Amino acid sequence: MFATVRGMASGSSSRDLLTNHALHHGLRPATVLRPAASIERDVLPLDAALAGVIDGGVMRGRSVVCSGDAAVALSMRVVARATQEGAWLAVVGVDDIGLLAAAEQGIALQRTVLVCAPRASREWAAAVATAIDGFALVMLQVPPSITVGEARKLMTRVQARRAVVVIVDPARQPAVISAFRPDVVLHTSTRQWFGIGNGVGHVQAREVRVEVSGRRMPGVAVHTVRLGC
Amino acid sequence: MPEQSARVAVERSTRVAVERSTRVVAVVCPDWPAVAARRERGATYDAVGVVRANRVVARTVAAAQAGVCVGMRRREAQECCPDLVIATDNCDRDRVMFESIVRAIGEMVPLIEVGEPGTIVFPTRGPSRYLGGDDALGLRIVEVLNAEMHRSGLSDTVFGVGIADGRLMATIAAHAGRSPVVVPVGASRGWLNDCSVTVLADHAGVSRDIISLLQRLGIATLGDVVALPESTLTARFGPIGAEMHRLARGEDRYPPVTIAPPPDHATMRRFDDPIEDVNTVTLNGRDVAEELCAHLADHAAVCVRVQVCLLADHGEQNERVWYRPEGLGVGAITERVRWQMEGWVATRGPTSGVVLIRLIPLELRPFEGRQVGLWGAVSAADVAARQATLALVGLLGTNAVRVPEWRGGRDPTQVFVRTPAALVDLEQRSTAVLEERRWRGALPSPSPTRVYDTPVAVEVMGREGLRVVVSGRHELNVIPTQVIIDRVAHNIVWWAGPWPVEECWWDHHRKRRAARMHVVTEQRAMVLVLEHGVWLIVAEFG
Repeated sequence: MFATVRGMASGSSSRDLLTNHALHHGLRPATVLRPAASIERDVLPLDAALAGVIDGGVMRGRSVVCSGDAAVALSMRVVARATQEGAWLAVVGVDDIGLLAAAEQGIALQRTVLVCAPRASREWAAAVATAIDGFALVMLQVPPSITVGEARKLMTRVQARRAVVVIVDPARQPAVISAFRPDVVLHTSTRQWFGIGNGVGHVQAREVRVEVSGRRMPGVAVHTVRLGC
Repeated sequence: MPEQSARVAVERSTRVAVERSTRVVAVVCPDWPAVAARRERGATYDAVGVVRANRVVARTVAAAQAGVCVGMRRREAQECCPDLVIATDNCDRDRVMFESIVRAIGEMVPLIEVGEPGTIVFPTRGPSRYLGGDDALGLRIVEVLNAEMHRSGLSDTVFGVGIADGRLMATIAAHAGRSPVVVPVGASRGWLNDCSVTVLADHAGVSRDIISLLQRLGIATLGDVVALPESTLTARFGPIGAEMHRLARGEDRYPPVTIAPPPDHATMRRFDDPIEDVNTVTLNGRDVAEELCAHLADHAAVCVRVQVCLLADHGEQNERVWYRPEGLGVGAITERVRWQMEGWVATRGPTSGVVLIRLIPLELRPFEGRQVGLWGAVSAADVAARQATLALVGLLGTNAVRVPEWRGGRDPTQVFVRTPAALVDLEQRSTAVLEERRWRGALPSPSPTRVYDTPVAVEVMGREGLRVVVSGRHELNVIPTQVIIDRVAHNIVWWAGPWPVEECWWDHHRKRRAARMHVVTEQRAMVLVLEHGVWLIVAEFG
């Protein structure tokens, strides 16, 4: 009985009928149940500053590229909120990531695993695929040797597993965009540093110009974001 | 004849893992998290309170005198004691700071059991005889603790020492006061009879709801609990009822389980070549732990208390007992082997490699399965990530998959170490670093987002082509104007510093003297360090 209800629940046209039917029998169909935690939602939870930049948020199963001056800092901001809400993060190949900065940006380090991936294309792709299978968030740095075929396979896998891939690309390699065809591209350039003078203060914040483009966007939108570092 | 030998075998098989309530010492510092937090800050602040979920869980003596109580809200505590320093809960810090106490006691008694930081339990039999009685032992422990706390400048720390039959009674006695409390042999039952049932919640981990229910049913003391038949309690409360009865009788928390002793290959590993690397020893420890846990799981048991023995090639031995009432899995045992090995190496340490690891399950309890909680417990995401991590370890090797672990330090490179994921218990990861745990003399926040393993050597030039150096008084000779990276000069737009660091000047091998600066060029902002006369880019805001 319950299996039929679940089966029918996938068709949205019969939802009202189904709801009445199920409530009548004291059952709640699967579609009426709320997801247990926000991590199960379709959109990645982002902090307020970034939610304004990426229009509509980042859906699960999609990919984000952060490039330019503040590539690492911005990618930390993208994943931070989600790790706080229970998602696990695999950092593959970003060997010089500053862990103290990650903690300051709000990444839950108790749910972070750092992977030192091999450089060769096939082995690298195998490692990333394994990470995609188990982690909701994967932060990557792409080695130059990656082939287009491997990249496409990985993206298919990301969609199937509904993970979110954040590619860190400080050098803005053209191959990354052409091979991975990311959904969102955030290119950053630093405008201004705050808190530091000539022999006084220290680096406290910066203003970054973010150019947002991507496969699903009509043009390039430009925003100015103040980052904590 | 064959019958007799069979009986001998059965007798031997039932001997493993049985430990009745023996006479034990409990050394307890109820406010250890606060003491550790204060010690980390260099003992300069007197009033320190440790807060978890906005409630005070521990406070120092000065804070207690000002009226701060455990269980208060943060605001209330600050109202009582305006100069209270609030620290967050960090079990890594508690454990690291507790190591010196463990070592001090360990010099007196070879085999001690460390549960949570702040608590040490060990059987009195050997040391008590050696020192001439339980009273003498209690006084000696207090003497050792005072000397150790005096050395770290925290001489007002309160430690309780209790000696009694059974763990619960000893713990209650240890919480009773500052001077050692010795409960005579056989008198535990009488003492426990007068205790309120709330001690079960305070010291034995029984849920407060159940205790409240007992009180409402008119069962106020442990004597009342013992007076009831065990079957009645079991019928009313389930397994916890039987456990409360056992605790009230003065026995230990779980009933001992007896199984056939595990085969040698499941408890011991011997190496022909001595192993000098901590991680390799721990990985071998993991192999042994896997076999041991598999063996125990076959008999539906889980290990609660395990003794880890490490033997070095030159005959030095290191033994410690680890206890966790919920049971020790593969990850938990591996992590404890690593802690023990790290503690051993950090002190005088073994002079040669390790040739033998032995895990002895001292106490088992029936494996009751795991209840997955609704909130804040293990989620499906945790399980999937753990499996993926193990798959990655299998694919790439132990050293390629790591997890961050807080270690503390003044440079961004030092604060977190990357520990191989195979060597930690992924189920029990402690919470991450928070802002206030920053060491004094650390670089100011925010921290650089890219930290280089191999720093890049650069030149820093001032006006008129002078090389920038830092004097013995930590002053720059000229204002820096250019930084030369790979023979390309970049103009310095902003700069700040130098911030000196002088570490371990008393130790010839570990001493370190350096100056750090923040430098902003047209494109990049970076952290420069001058050490041994060479400027290095150690980190960058990327």
